[in-house]
Amino acid sequence: MNITDTIINLLQSGLGGLAAYLAAHVLLCLLPAFFIAGALAALMPKEAITRYLGRDAPKWISYPASALGGFVLAVCSCTIMPLFASIYKKGAGLGPAITFLFVGPAVNILAISFTGVQIGMDIALARVILSLIFGILIGLLMAWFFRKDDAAHAEEANNNNLFSGKASIPTHSIVFFLILLGTLLAGTLQIGLFRDIFYDFLIPGTWAVDLQNFLDGLIPPDPSLGIEGVSVHGLFLIGLLILIAVSAIKGFKDIYEGFSPWTYITLGLITLTLLVASFSVQTSEQGLLVGFNGRFVAEALLLAGAWWMMAKKFTESQRQEWLWETWRFVKQIIPLLLVGVFAASIARALIPPIWIQTLAGRNTLWANLAGVIFGVFMYFPTLVEVPVAQTFLSLGMHRGPLLAYLLADPELSLQSILITNSVIGKKKTAVYVVLVAIFSTLAGLIFGWFI
Amino acid sequence: MEIKILGGGCPKCHRLEAVTREVVEELGLEAEFIKVKTMQEIMAYDVMTTPALVVNERVLSSGRIPAHEEIKGWLVDLSK
Repeated sequence: MNITDTIINLLQSGLGGLAAYLAAHVLLCLLPAFFIAGALAALMPKEAITRYLGRDAPKWISYPASALGGFVLAVCSCTIMPLFASIYKKGAGLGPAITFLFVGPAVNILAISFTGVQIGMDIALARVILSLIFGILIGLLMAWFFRKDDAAHAEEANNNNLFSGKASIPTHSIVFFLILLGTLLAGTLQIGLFRDIFYDFLIPGTWAVDLQNFLDGLIPPDPSLGIEGVSVHGLFLIGLLILIAVSAIKGFKDIYEGFSPWTYITLGLITLTLLVASFSVQTSEQGLLVGFNGRFVAEALLLAGAWWMMAKKFTESQRQEWLWETWRFVKQIIPLLLVGVFAASIARALIPPIWIQTLAGRNTLWANLAGVIFGVFMYFPTLVEVPVAQTFLSLGMHRGPLLAYLLADPELSLQSILITNSVIGKKKTAVYVVLVAIFSTLAGLIFGWFI
Repeated sequence: MEIKILGGGCPKCHRLEAVTREVVEELGLEAEFIKVKTMQEIMAYDVMTTPALVVNERVLSSGRIPAHEEIKGWLVDLSK
């Protein structure tokens, strides 16, 4: 085979993966997810959770509260480390601190919604439920292993009011979170109510078919490799995304100076994109058939609600902080994610499926362990584990080992091991890492039996 | 006065420092900025969330970036 051909082929599958991503998945799920993550970081009073994590809190409250805290507070690495250290040294102790640390990276709104859309709701749900249960179990085990150290610690910790701050989450914030969550669900759930078309119209002309053929030539869809290709609808959405990116750089960068016209243009474009993405669009010989469905109605209502609440219920500085946090997540995650998707799509063309199938094609103990070990040694940036997992899936990995990998990868990254080490020391970190490896392997194995 | 920014160097900490520096400049204060990055030292201030703003060893805020006007109010009071 000619080398140039091979390179062109690889680039094509890389770009194909990237384009299919932007056109189909990223949009309806990640766009709202980023805004939810931003809202959790900006609008959620941390004291509402930390009040349950003091030294005197009973176990049956402190462990679930830690798990919940991991879910809602740990969307930002600035929050994880100091909170982890505080809970360990001055609060409820080692166990709940470990629970908090474990749940955070695996069960956040971005990771879950992304996994759900990309790989399947079964894996996403398993990731949530197993992470919560195992987080608590591992916390309890750690507390038991090191019960002597912990008792000594509790005496050292001076009695302070660190955890006595009382705060509850305002009702309007909860409603706002629910509305944002609604836009995410309405965009991604595949149920009849959302899919049925009640009104459609035709944009006539043969251009649609020509364009589709051109796109198929550029990025040939290949279902056997999981390459979906790009539709006319998708091309339009990619165009909108590029516009959003350009205007967001101008509109969100100096958000603390106040809302500029660019800010409104960006928010408007995002709203438009979510609405356009919810249409059903089909290419036919007669032209482009655009259909309005329940999804469109739901998105329109929810987005209107979100706009209204943002304008009426929150202060200027809350709005600014929300958008700033959202933008920070986007800047931190999206560039790495795009590179990751590109690389994972190339890897899909390079790795012979037989390797993956031999190693992890069936749900065995060794296959699950292989998934975990791969997760430990390969460090992928936040969310990149998802496209990597999808590549494995399309190459024939069993869903059990896949879950084991997805649990281990964010938990046992180099970064999280270093953080843990700096706060609780080498011995406890080593035990923690071993426990996570064992539990992730078991999780994959058990999940694998059920499907 | 002595202004400490507590935090491991995340974007929020940079933002807090930038806002505080703006206020200091605006008020024409003499201030020394110290970045506190190690977990041990941060814990000594009894803050659970970073970034935190500490002026003359008093914790003024933690876990958020206070508004420009808010910081201005504190610094005006403290420089009296």
